[in-house]
Amino acid sequence: MTGGRQGGRCGWRWWWAVAACWLGLIAAAAAAAELDDIRARGELVWGADQEGGGPHVYIDPENPTRLVGFEVDLADMLAAELGVTARFQQGQWDRLPLLLGRAADCVINGIESTPERARDWRCSRPYFAYALQLVARRDSPLDSPEALAKEGPRGPWRVGVLTGSAAEIEMRRRTDFAVEVVGYDGTVDCLEQLRGRVLDAALMDDCIASFNADRFGELRGIGRPFAGGTYTILTAPDTPRLSAAIDEALGRLITDGRLKALYDRWDLAGRQQMLLLRDAAEVPPARRGSLADLIRGALPLLLRSAGMTILLSVASFPLAILIGLAVAVGRLHGPAWLRPFLAGYVEILRGTPLMLQLYALFFLLPKVGLALPALVAAILGLAMNYSAYESEIYRAGLKAVPAGQFEAALALGMTKWQSLRHVLVPQAVRIVMPPITSDFIALFKDTSVCSAITVIELTKRYSVLALSTGRIAELAIVTALLYLAMSWPLSLLSRWFERRLERRSERSQA
Amino acid sequence: MIEVDSLAAVRAGNRILDAVTLAVAEGTVTTLVGPSGGGKSTLLRCLNGLETFAAGQVMIAGHTLIAGDHPPRALERVRRDVGMVFQGFNLFPHLSAIDNVTLAPRIVRGMPPSEARSRGLELLDRVGLSRFADARPATLSGGQQQRVAIARSLAMEPRVMLFDEPTSALDPQMSAEVLDVIVELARGGQTMVVVTHDHGFARRAATQVVELVAGRVHRAGPPAEILAGVGG
Repeated sequence: MTGGRQGGRCGWRWWWAVAACWLGLIAAAAAAAELDDIRARGELVWGADQEGGGPHVYIDPENPTRLVGFEVDLADMLAAELGVTARFQQGQWDRLPLLLGRAADCVINGIESTPERARDWRCSRPYFAYALQLVARRDSPLDSPEALAKEGPRGPWRVGVLTGSAAEIEMRRRTDFAVEVVGYDGTVDCLEQLRGRVLDAALMDDCIASFNADRFGELRGIGRPFAGGTYTILTAPDTPRLSAAIDEALGRLITDGRLKALYDRWDLAGRQQMLLLRDAAEVPPARRGSLADLIRGALPLLLRSAGMTILLSVASFPLAILIGLAVAVGRLHGPAWLRPFLAGYVEILRGTPLMLQLYALFFLLPKVGLALPALVAAILGLAMNYSAYESEIYRAGLKAVPAGQFEAALALGMTKWQSLRHVLVPQAVRIVMPPITSDFIALFKDTSVCSAITVIELTKRYSVLALSTGRIAELAIVTALLYLAMSWPLSLLSRWFERRLERRSERSQA
Repeated sequence: MIEVDSLAAVRAGNRILDAVTLAVAEGTVTTLVGPSGGGKSTLLRCLNGLETFAAGQVMIAGHTLIAGDHPPRALERVRRDVGMVFQGFNLFPHLSAIDNVTLAPRIVRGMPPSEARSRGLELLDRVGLSRFADARPATLSGGQQQRVAIARSLAMEPRVMLFDEPTSALDPQMSAEVLDVIVELARGGQTMVVVTHDHGFARRAATQVVELVAGRVHRAGPPAEILAGVGG
């Protein structure tokens, strides 16, 4: 008894220690590293996305362990100016600013100056000038960006952009264009889909279009670049001295010609860059609107994306159940030669990530001539992935039906399939109803993975809205409430099934 | 109606049945008795192909079963003419009593639902359960469930009925309800083979008693002869 109480107190002390450690870590992490911390550390950590591609930051094709790009060189030069060395930190492009103050001191990755970014982060003086280049296949009927105003032969033009980029903002702003905008996480994915005829055109920074010109020989630039802007280096809001030091360092690199030399080395028209940078005005920060305005503006978009989440779930889950049931029945009662294949199907789909499967369906199938629309690929991918889990549940359910049931059916002269259809499967379905409903809730949340293949559902919409408005916490709460509003009824349904089943088994025991 | 010739069955290296030969005439009742593990249930299950056997042959209701596996079609044809009632009832728990009875006639014989239902109700009436047509098996007593199971088997109009210890899972009162139904069937001229430990039933209804011991026919003959001096 005494020992037990002591043990309990000891346990409490341990928990307090853990809590204190966590609080300490959080406090340490909350303060962004200022210039002095960076100098003391001897390292400037810069965030970028190597998936974003060249010429900014990309993997050297000749030496895949090495990162190259004009921003890699720029980061090295800046760090040297600050008296430290540069260290790269990987992040997903549209979420790079979220690394600031935690995993990175600054973000250098083709981040365009926008009023919203100037409001939420510290933006350096411009270091590169870009314009937007429209790209299409050589055989495309498009002859200028203005031609997007009239619908194409297949309806609105499908135009690919990098999610969160200036190109996306420009395309969504241009209500005069008859376009359907499709967001990608990487430029190369986008260009592959353009080559595979899933897209009609793509809009991107001119330097990216030129960089990929050789690799995508069947594409061409449509008209001259338009709607330009400049890139800026982002730092955390509470690091004024770091931001000032970066501005000064950039100033020195511009005046003494080292930045021009860098751009010339990368075939980025150094002389013209200097001309543009000299003239580029600073972007004034945007005003932060009221929370009510924000929610009024965001809610319709979030609701529409919640509709997409629902569509993905209700379209894929019945399919998953049907495939899963067929696989389970095949594995238990099908011909012997079929069983190893079905077992393989289940193991492959259960043993690989859903994200990878969606990628294969969406980005690899077009290479063998089967270009699925993103929505179809998403529904099919979810259905196949979940069918593997469903089939295991059904298999357990079918095994849980007493052997006497099958015998009784056979003894009445039923065929194997009649016994399955009328006797075994209906009972198995009743047994596995609770795990299946809870699986539906899991699938419902897994739909967020579909954003990887350009389907904008609730989570993706949240992420885009949160980053463009800077209201990360407020919108997270609204989004979470929407998810709960949708999954709560499903939970209730699942519990109802369980209660009903318990009642029935109590009755049959009585 | 049934002729079993030199039947041998082996399970996991053990000889369960050994040179079993017996005949059942149409319209008669044969009870299989003997100690547990004597092979009674196995013999019964060989009669409708639920179990395979190693040697010998079975002729039943005009069909012939030989040693080894049979194509599913052949077994389905046998089972349409041979009904079976199990110790554990094995009613379909997701269906009401009447649906249990009408399922096989509808899907195996393609009987129209309305006809299947009216005949099903007649059968439930015969086993004294027409009031419970829409009840789920879980709400019925064991004796009632077994009577529904008998009606379910009869619905296929089998030429032979096999009973595998139909009352072992029941208390004496419920056993009596079920046995009354079986005796009634016997009076109606239904050919039956009944595995039972209930010698009282054997005396009352059997034409022939076959005693199986260690997989062999130990004795066979009329009940008065075989069960003389045996209690129960």
